This record gives sequence, structure tokens and C-alpha cells, in this order.
Amino acid sequence: MSNLLELHNISKSFGALTALRNLSFHIGEGEVVGLLGDNGAGKSTTVNLISGIHKPTEGYLSVDGKKTLFTCRSDSADAGIETIYQHTALVDSLSITRNIFMGRELTDRFGLLRQSEMREITMEVLQNAVHISGIDSPDTLVGNLSGGQKQAVAIARAVHFKKRILLLDEPTSALSVRETEALLNQVLKLKAENVSSVLVTHNIYHAYQVCDRFVIMSHGTKVFDVDKADTTINQLTEYVVLN
Amino acid sequence: MTPILADNAVHRSRTQRQSVLKQIMAMPAGAIFLVFMTLQIVCIAGALLYPNEFRYLSPQNLTILMKAIPVLGCLALGAGVLMIAGEFDLSIGSVYTFTAVLMASLVGAGVSAFLAAPLGIVTGLLIGLLNGQITIRFGLPSFIVTLGGLLFWRGAVLLYNGAVQVRFDPEPVFTSLFSGTLFGINAAFIWIVLLVVGFHFLLHRHRFGNHVFATGGNRAAAEAIGINTRRVKLIAFAVAGGMAAMAGILATARVGSVQPGQGAGLELQAIAACVIGGLSLRGGRGSIIGIFLGVLLIHTITDVLLLLRAPGFYLDMFIATLIVLAAIFNHLIERRGVA
Repeated sequence: MSNLLELHNISKSFGALTALRNLSFHIGEGEVVGLLGDNGAGKSTTVNLISGIHKPTEGYLSVDGKKTLFTCRSDSADAGIETIYQHTALVDSLSITRNIFMGRELTDRFGLLRQSEMREITMEVLQNAVHISGIDSPDTLVGNLSGGQKQAVAIARAVHFKKRILLLDEPTSALSVRETEALLNQVLKLKAENVSSVLVTHNIYHAYQVCDRFVIMSHGTKVFDVDKADTTINQLTEYVVLN
Repeated sequence: MTPILADNAVHRSRTQRQSVLKQIMAMPAGAIFLVFMTLQIVCIAGALLYPNEFRYLSPQNLTILMKAIPVLGCLALGAGVLMIAGEFDLSIGSVYTFTAVLMASLVGAGVSAFLAAPLGIVTGLLIGLLNGQITIRFGLPSFIVTLGGLLFWRGAVLLYNGAVQVRFDPEPVFTSLFSGTLFGINAAFIWIVLLVVGFHFLLHRHRFGNHVFATGGNRAAAEAIGINTRRVKLIAFAVAGGMAAMAGILATARVGSVQPGQGAGLELQAIAACVIGGLSLRGGRGSIIGIFLGVLLIHTITDVLLLLRAPGFYLDMFIATLIVLAAIFNHLIERRGVA
């Protein structure tokens, strides 16, 4: 298993505040990694760094073994990384189709939208790539969907644009039990198609269900990095709570 | 997993069974369309029943309507695009007057109107860009920034030309292009129809429009997907300024002069038209057809009240009621998450 994304000794300071210190970990191909830690451990900063919103103060990222620098969101998107934030993934007042193609619209050479084509692709993606129940049509406004359906649409978007790593920021915090199950199954299904996922979460139980490996952060650095086979929920909880 | 195609087919047959009324209500701007059509039917019926007392269908009245609509229409289109992008522009009334005075005085100094008018539009675009720059650069509410703009450019009109009216004597070709008639239809009205069609395609059929809706609907999400929301907002500010100048050209060509105080209050009427047309004050929702219907509704009601010889204050009270009702209605729709 080769390493898709690696973080090498990354530090990040905001003025006098050091958010990350000498952080290194990697994400393999087709691997599901749980990035765990309590509030203030530096998880969000790490997510923002991987998605190109922050630049490291020291250290660097590499993709496929090649050193890279993400200067903005679209750099990480070009490298195949899609970040799905809890509340900022979709626009409620637009249809599913328009959300899926937001910022990457299919247009003719005058910039006019190829609407029927985008609509057809959306229908196909919703049917095949992700299994979302209860959606009538791709013209449904995203504001009318439930939390789980919204997340599924965001994942469908990532799948359609052939992303290799999904970065899911607190994916289960607003979902019902059933929606959580569906989401976790989705992650496993994508893994079977060789798409890696990073679950950034508080919820060790959800992470334990699907992750192959766990990276635990505390005070801006990694304190534990372990395969699922070599650990237990109790041990993970101890590391999150005690550090 | 139920196949979506089949779901959709069921959905379609269900909607077919729904009444035409419900189908119209479900369309963007459907509700305002119904209100507008009802008003038209009542007015036309009234005019046919009492042709001498209620001269709604008289050629004079229709001409007045066609001449009045384009000015507010231009202002509302610009203000509306900016509102959908999630910002306000209160300065458009003042910009409208300032650019008109500028254009008229240039023509008075011997410049061709065909040069002065584009200069007016460029000035409007630049003022819009300035509003946008200040708003975005310092992260201020556009309400405050453009409130400053409203006062500043109102003062600038007086500084530039004093409190006197400016005559506008362009080449006859220019006048006929902007206030002549074609097949009995007022030229300014043809302009506004063309602009509405153009804006409809820009906002609902073009990539840029999708970015405007995304920026106003959820700026963080738009940015996360790689849309340059600062640029989208800047362009929307420029459009608002440019359309204010366009309104100035149409008004000035029609009247043949500019009054230094003529734009006062128009920015609020433009925003009112947008709200009546179904735009959300929080951005991200609305349609160009809705904005235009809002403008038509304001002018139809104004016209009817004038024809009925109602005193002027009724007009303001009526429009005020309409705005609040429209806002309540939009809010209810937003809470349901439809439209």
C-alpha cells in the first residue's frame, strides 16, 4: 500500500499561538483513517492545512511521494482531496444538480450552462455512486434534504469528480442513528473502490466501526498512531482523554 | 435503493394531477405572477366596464406606463443581482442622478451623447466597484458603506453642478434610440425587455449566475468549492452601479433634463421591487422574472391609484403594505425551504 498523502514534520503558528507542532502522519491508498482528539487538539487546523486553506509554517506535504505546497482550496482539489465540512458543503437555496456542479459547471464556450446534461449526470450519480433514499429528483432544493441526505450529496459530488481522499469533518455529529449507519457504510463502499477517507471526529465509536488506523492528536501534535488490529476502544479513549 | 428515474416518473404524474394553480405557485416567482395577473384582469375588466371613468387601457395611460417602468426596472435589476449575491446598494439612487448630471453636462459642453452615455455607465461601474472594494476589503456591512455612498454622491451632484437642473440636448438619433417608438412601443420599454432577457440568461443559464446564487446562498460553501466570492461580489456591485447609470440615461433621454434631486428614494423603491419579486434579504434566492414583475406591480398599483385620483400618500401606504406582505410571504416560503 503506497502513501497517497504524507505530512512531514508540520508546524503551524498563528502569531504567538502554535496550533500544530512537528506533526507527521500519512494516509495510504484505499485506507480509512480516524483522526481523533479532543477539542483544541489541532484537528481543524490539520484539516484546513490538508485542504489548502492554511499553509504550514514549517514542514511540508507530499502527494504520491512528491513534495507539494497547497496555496488554496483548488490546489488540494486538483490533487484529488475533497473536504466535506459539516455546515459549509452545500448551498441550501440551490438544487442538487446545481450543487454538484457548483464551481465546475458544464458549459458551452459562451459559459452558458448545459443544463440537461448536468441533470442527467446528477441522476446517474445519485442512483449509482451513492445510495440516497427519498430523493425525488435532481431538481430538489438541497435545503429540503435531511442532514444525512445532504452529506450523501456532498459525497456524491466528490465521487463524481474522482476524488481520491475524502476529508470528512465531524461527519456524524448532526446525523440520526440510521443516517450515521448509512454514512459509515458509504465510507466502506468507497474504500472498496480504492477511495481513502479521513474521519475527523470526537466520536471514537463511529470511527472504530470503519477505520483501519487511528491517529490521535493532542496539543497540536500526534500522540498515538495505531492500526485497528493492535488497539481497543478503551485504549483509544484513554489516549484521547488523558493526553 | 429505489431507482430515481422511476421515482421521478411517479412524481411527474402526481404533479400532473395537481391543479394548474399549484403548479404556478411552485414555480419561482409563481406567486407574484398570480398576484400580477389577477390585478391585470381586474384592471382590464374595470377599464372595459367603465371606459370613461377608469382609463387604464387608453393609449395615453399605456404610454405613461411603458415610459415609467424602464427606469425603476434598470435600478431593480442591478440591485437585485447584488441582493442575490448577498449585498445591498443604497447608493444607486444617488449614482443614477450623478451619472445623469455628468452625462448631460458633458453633452452640454459639446461632447457627443454617444460618448457621454458610455462614460456615464463606466462611471457607474467604477462607483459600484468602489463600494464593493470598501465593503469587501474591510469586511463591512454593505448597508453602511452604501449609505455613505448615498450621501456622498448626492452631495457630489451639488458640488459638481449646483442645485440647478441640467438640460440634455443630444443628437436626435440618440433621443430616438432611447425614447422614440418602434411599432408603437416605447424604445425605453424595448431596452428594459432586452435587459431583462439578458439578465435572465446571465443569472439563470450562465455559469456566472450559478456563482452569484452560490455566493449569496452560502458563501463559505462557495469558497470551499473554489469560487472566488470576492470577485463575484465585486462584479455584482459594478453591475448595480452600471445599471443605475443606465437608468439615468433612459430617464434623461425621456425628460430632456436632469433634476439634482430626482433619484432620492429610488434605491428603496428598487429594493422594494426586489422584495416583492421574491428575493431574500439574506441573499441566494430570487429570480429576474420576479424582480421585473415586482417593478411592474409597483408601477401598475401606482398607475391605478393615480387613475382613481387617490391622494399621493395612499400610494406610499399601499406600496409599504405590499412590501411587508411580500416579505412575510417570502419568509414563510423560506422556512418551508421551497422556492
